[in-house]
Amino acid sequence: MDLSHLAPPPRDSSADETMIAPIAWTPEQQIARMLLLCEAQMESALSESDVAVDELIKSFKGLIEAGQALGAQNDNTNLAQQLDTLRKQTAAAVVAFQFYDKLNQRLGHVRYSLSALAMFVCDREKAHERDQWRRLFSTLRRLYRTEEERQLFKLMVEGASAEEAREHIQQSTLTLRSTPTGEIEIF
Amino acid sequence: MPGSASQHSRVILAVDDSASMRQMVRFTLESAGYKVVQAVDGVEALDYAKQSAVDLVLTDVNMPRMDGITLVRELRGLSSYKFTPMLVLTTESGQDTKQRGKQAGATGWIVKPFSPEQLLSTIARVL
Repeated sequence: MDLSHLAPPPRDSSADETMIAPIAWTPEQQIARMLLLCEAQMESALSESDVAVDELIKSFKGLIEAGQALGAQNDNTNLAQQLDTLRKQTAAAVVAFQFYDKLNQRLGHVRYSLSALAMFVCDREKAHERDQWRRLFSTLRRLYRTEEERQLFKLMVEGASAEEAREHIQQSTLTLRSTPTGEIEIF
Repeated sequence: MPGSASQHSRVILAVDDSASMRQMVRFTLESAGYKVVQAVDGVEALDYAKQSAVDLVLTDVNMPRMDGITLVRELRGLSSYKFTPMLVLTTESGQDTKQRGKQAGATGWIVKPFSPEQLLSTIARVL
């Protein structure tokens, strides 16, 4: 699979520097932090897809029930209402299916991050330079393109614990359940 | 989602490297009466658009070979697409990327996931 399009966009400003929390610094701690970040990103992506699967199950259950109700009717007095229910359930399924695409994208970013980390740590000289680690984090920051990925990255790189990340993911999932669709802007 | 008589003559070029996304877009637009042609990336979309006229372009951003913002810029450079509505449908929500899309000539920006109703009303608004 060609992952080249997953690579972060070119660096375009000096404001791109990533702030790393001021804690005792060792290369091993940086590796651990990077792996924790990848784990949190995967947990967040999987949590999103749980919401989507729940919605798909509800939608298809609703479609089946609406279909059965239509079949049982002897007259068409409630036909418009039943068709409206079908339309709403189908629309919810269309939204839910899109999270599968988002899941693929997010896991692709995690794969890219892990590959970048593996190559980085193989270079012992590079892996012992703090500035090189800062550059690696900055490169990966530009990799993340959805709002959830960016928020989680910021949280983890600034020193959040796995527990704090989990709490953040739970809050994001609640928000996602109430507002599943994205913003629209006409220029 | 019934389509009006005028929608039946409208052709929308949907560009996305994800097969599942293309299916969702196609399902939504065809159920409203639009004719949908699909491309898997910017290169394929540009080739198609040069050979056949389309009424609206709906494109993803991150794709292999040619991204959606480059596609919009290339199409805007063609006289036949100077005024064609071009909507970007993407998971990208960052202001920098959105600004790049606007500068390239995009008509609007829709962050995935889309709701069928909102996508259709946005398309109706710009067509």
